[in-house]
Amino acid sequence: MKPPSIGVLGGGPWGLALAQAATRGPCTTYLYSRRQQDAEVPSVHWTRDLAELAQCRLILVAVPSNLARTVARELGEHLDGSHVLVHGIRGLIGPELNTVSQIFREETPVRRLGALGGPVQADELAAGNPSAMVVAAEFPDVTAAVRDALQSDRLQLHMTRDLRGLEWASALVGCLSIGIGYVQARGSVSPGLLAALISRAVDEAATIAVAAGAEEKTFYGLGGYGDLLASMALTDRPEVVLGRELARGAKLEEARLRARLRVEAIDLVPRVAAFARSRGVSCPVLDAIGKILESSSDAEAIVRALFRG
Amino acid sequence: MPRSAPIFHFNHERAALVAQTIDRVCAQTRSPLHALNDAAYWETRRLEASRKKGDQDELAEWRALSRKLSRMTDAERRSQLKELVGNYAGDIAGNFDPRVYRLSTRILPSLVTGLLAPGSLPKKLRHPLELLKLDAIADKVVLQGDTARLQKLADKGTLVFVPTHASNMDSIVFGFALELSGLPPATYGAGKNLFTNPILSFFMHNLGAYKVDRRLRFDLYKDCLKAYSCVLLERGYHSLFFPGGTRSRSGAVEAKLKLGLAGTGIESYVSSLRRGAERKVFFVPATINYLITLEAETLIADYLSEAGKARYIIEDDESSRLSRVLAFVRKLFTMRGAVVVRFGTPLDPFGNPVDGDGNSLDARGRVVDTSSFVRDVRGEVSFEPERDAQYTRELATALVDAYRKNTVVMATHVVAAACFEHLRQQAPGADLFNVLRLRDQKISRDELARLVLERRDALRELEKRGEVVLAEDVRDTSGGDLLAQAMSAFSGYHSAPVIEAQPDGIVLRDPKLLLYYQNRLIRHGLAFDPEASTQKPGPRRGGGA
Repeated sequence: MKPPSIGVLGGGPWGLALAQAATRGPCTTYLYSRRQQDAEVPSVHWTRDLAELAQCRLILVAVPSNLARTVARELGEHLDGSHVLVHGIRGLIGPELNTVSQIFREETPVRRLGALGGPVQADELAAGNPSAMVVAAEFPDVTAAVRDALQSDRLQLHMTRDLRGLEWASALVGCLSIGIGYVQARGSVSPGLLAALISRAVDEAATIAVAAGAEEKTFYGLGGYGDLLASMALTDRPEVVLGRELARGAKLEEARLRARLRVEAIDLVPRVAAFARSRGVSCPVLDAIGKILESSSDAEAIVRALFRG
Repeated sequence: MPRSAPIFHFNHERAALVAQTIDRVCAQTRSPLHALNDAAYWETRRLEASRKKGDQDELAEWRALSRKLSRMTDAERRSQLKELVGNYAGDIAGNFDPRVYRLSTRILPSLVTGLLAPGSLPKKLRHPLELLKLDAIADKVVLQGDTARLQKLADKGTLVFVPTHASNMDSIVFGFALELSGLPPATYGAGKNLFTNPILSFFMHNLGAYKVDRRLRFDLYKDCLKAYSCVLLERGYHSLFFPGGTRSRSGAVEAKLKLGLAGTGIESYVSSLRRGAERKVFFVPATINYLITLEAETLIADYLSEAGKARYIIEDDESSRLSRVLAFVRKLFTMRGAVVVRFGTPLDPFGNPVDGDGNSLDARGRVVDTSSFVRDVRGEVSFEPERDAQYTRELATALVDAYRKNTVVMATHVVAAACFEHLRQQAPGADLFNVLRLRDQKISRDELARLVLERRDALRELEKRGEVVLAEDVRDTSGGDLLAQAMSAFSGYHSAPVIEAQPDGIVLRDPKLLLYYQNRLIRHGLAFDPEASTQKPGPRRGGGA
């Protein structure tokens, strides 16, 4: 039987990396990008036509979160209930903190939705270095479809049914990674202390996300803890770069430029903190990261707040 | 009864329905040894606790079977399985017992003539649904919702009505509602214990009920029920399920559903697609709203009592006592709009809304090919139980949402919420059980009317957002009039007064019943939620009548 095809929407580094990973699997791979084809990727069919992309029943979406709704709305014109739509977008949308899969549910007829997460980075994935990824979906046929398309001896996929949890975990790990970059750049932090910060940050994130309907255990798995641990060593992770630059005294705009990729977490930190307060959950780590972004407090006070609240 | 009613149709098709059910269950059962062992284990356990002569004989048969099972050949086990499944399927489909029927017809006239006394009654007795169409009942049961759309859908596919469940009167009331709305009658599963009650049994047989024996808890029996339900749906029998599984003990609108049977909606749809003859299934959420509930006293007592958790089937409540049913029905006849049945937007088995032509709609209101939801990544229609279980969970979410939005608020609910709020103010910080101990609290009529109005106005705001519906005589009525409506509804039916008017104020006599009636508004955030308080009455067991 002919293997099904897989589509990737988004021509940025993450989209390209997903497409490259897909070419190592059994499916024919399509990549939709509005940009000119500026990279040569073997075995990937480029398209600028959403209708053509929709010929694939499994579609991975890799666009910045601020474009999620627009893209879903346009793509939704070409989809039906047989499609499987999985995103790798780190973010929560609007003041209501909607997950991206909620946006997809509102804008498309697709019911079989999923998300990707975990510590895998675009460059590792593109290069085919051994790495691990989490795929979450409430429908078991979604995780199975992604596994069949992407899993290889170099990419290990972990499955969870807690879609909401993984989406929240990915978004919050983005926020917390700014703090990791910041603290590391301050120089005087021992590995033990850094580990204490990470543990504390994951606890806090889990409590907030549980209030939003996530499962706690997702935060202590690869999509939460694992993803945040990776930030210790991922010196070029955009959120880590941002935190480091801010610690070195850069203004937010400069730091943002040096991070190169869009950092979703900048706008997200205050929204999540506001949500936590509305649910009576205390969030000292997130508040301290908010101060990093505002540069509204002296550095010593911020570091103290990160560790002690 | 019209000749097209399912009971006639049914008697003609009964053998085929049962045979198809048996074939399906036997084909699905991978290990007859396991299935029979499991059934024997549960049945032995159940029957050991019984002292009835019949049960003892049955016990001996099960024990004998247990002993033989391991020595039997596979073919012998298959044949044993077929026999057992045949018994269950036959029992579920029910016997249209003429003796029961005659008994019922002897009792009914005295009941109904006593209430209505129109001269034409005797000749209508052989046509109970005609009888029920009498205007006398029609203005007691108010119908709401887009029944024209439902009538159209009844021709395009199989309707599955999924109403809220508050009372044993529900199946009867809902049967009237279907008849009055020009909708076809629906077949439904009713607790076998209800068939022992001659009054209810009469209606059940005539409204197309099949029997569910809730004492049988093992998988093989459940498989028989599901298969039977699925066969009915595939053959286009419009059906009725109460997804709450049991009457709401607290009085609250259901927030958690049991969808074992509703899951057969997808199964029957997929199987129609695979046969190349698509037959759509439409779920119709509905709320049945009572000004007063027949069994309110028993239900709330059961909800509150620790012992109640173990009472799986209530066999001795108001609905089994003729005098109480009579008192209730008599009360019903004195009140206009005492029952409101409201139909919500129909849904496909995947929880998508459906338009008048039977098309599934997405969240943006665009038509989507219904079959696409059961196609795999290769585009083939597939049976995938785990996928379909998730769709059914999402359908449940949509139903719970529909129940909340289609709850019709009556005077008794608003007044009870106001009274209960007053009680809680009298004992700040007290837990639920301490509030319930506050007996005979007095409140001035003006103060109570003010509390009532406050709640009603909040409900009106919710109604504007489509989050709830107010009964006609609640929407624009003064606080004092709402209070009067509720008092008149409460008086004369419940065994003790719920609230009582005295010259210098209103006395709150029965906090438990006030809790029961105010619980209807929990899901709207406008009544005290006992489940959210520190001392929970504990999780409720499902099942029951």
